[in-house]
Amino acid sequence: MSLTHLNPRGEAHMVDVGDKAESRREARASGVIHMRPATLALLADGDLPKGDVLATARIAGIQAAKRTHELIPLCHALALSKVSVDFRLDEAASCVHVSATCRLTGRTGVEMEALTAVSVACLTLYDMCKAVDKDMEIGSIHLDAKTGGKSGDYQRGPAAMEPAPIVTGEGATGEVSLGVRCAMGEPCIRVKCLAELRERLGVGEVSVPFAELESADVAGLKALLKSMDARFAGLDEGRVLCAVNQVMAGNATPLTAEDEVAFFPPVTGG
Amino acid sequence: MIRVQQERFDAGSEQQALTRGRSDIGAVVSFTGLVRDFNERPEVQALTLEHYPGMTESALADIVAEAEQRWPLQGVRLIHRVGRLAPGDPIVLVVVASAHRRAAFEACDFIMDFLKTRAPFWKKEHTASGAYWVAEREGDHRDARRWETST
Repeated sequence: MSLTHLNPRGEAHMVDVGDKAESRREARASGVIHMRPATLALLADGDLPKGDVLATARIAGIQAAKRTHELIPLCHALALSKVSVDFRLDEAASCVHVSATCRLTGRTGVEMEALTAVSVACLTLYDMCKAVDKDMEIGSIHLDAKTGGKSGDYQRGPAAMEPAPIVTGEGATGEVSLGVRCAMGEPCIRVKCLAELRERLGVGEVSVPFAELESADVAGLKALLKSMDARFAGLDEGRVLCAVNQVMAGNATPLTAEDEVAFFPPVTGG
Repeated sequence: MIRVQQERFDAGSEQQALTRGRSDIGAVVSFTGLVRDFNERPEVQALTLEHYPGMTESALADIVAEAEQRWPLQGVRLIHRVGRLAPGDPIVLVVVASAHRRAAFEACDFIMDFLKTRAPFWKKEHTASGAYWVAEREGDHRDARRWETST
């Protein structure tokens, strides 16, 4: 494998794509911008000083994809047939997931366009929200998949997507809180969702205030979780097991403050 | 001795470590589980094993303790790997030593049956057509229930 942007003398050059066959190319990239829960709430409600943040960031991402060749020195100017930029607000992780898809029928790939769209959409989100939150952090910008072209299809591998699959509770969503954080001094219950359940619900770890439990047992915890976030309705789908302080438990198992409660699918080791 | 680790293990050296310097052991039964390249779908390219640190170790310790209650055992080594594994890789090792073969065979069988239904490990299989979490199997539960009548 060699770097196509370097000629035999090691100098940078633009690849001559005149002789390459035209094919349908598509690339999808994504990234994430973390922000304070309050900032995310303002964004969701459209109450930020600069107005409709997501619509602006979407246009910025699309514009950026079209102008990638002006930003990245050796990129060709492309007549993109499609650019889409999408946002998913993640309250549990307090972030916005940004993804972009670019498509054309042509001689070069469009992954740089998709990556540029994501990058600029994230930067625009930062610009639109920075008046209320300067701690925002942009990260995880990467290519998810590409199709078409000589180098073939690419799908980002699971190894790259899941840097730490073995330690549960440190999933993609990280330590998040739906209610008041434990760190604020209030007694809480620490909840972990493991393995397939974590991916299905999109929640790794949450903490909930112990005082808000309707009943101080696992059933009360489930009710509270469901009232806080509709995704926890998934706790009732399929067989979901439960452990309290790492011992198998059931709906009637009593809870006390600072307990660790894990929900997980049936085990499949060995 | 119970270990949960990412690294490979060597069944031969584990067995030697269990029996070294002992002359009271009359039988050693060893089981090694390997990653198959076909399971729910063909062409499994890799497997990721997730676990619940803390609970995993105590669940395995409980299983071994129960085996030691049921059979007269001279020693048990139980190693389960986690993380990303490739087809052909060893996943799990159970080595059971006893004075007589019957106890060693049965205890090894028992430990694997209980491990499969009680220890918090989860497998995700990666294939050419995508990744999926492995579903539980009724057969594993049936195997584990075989041991219920004997108590």
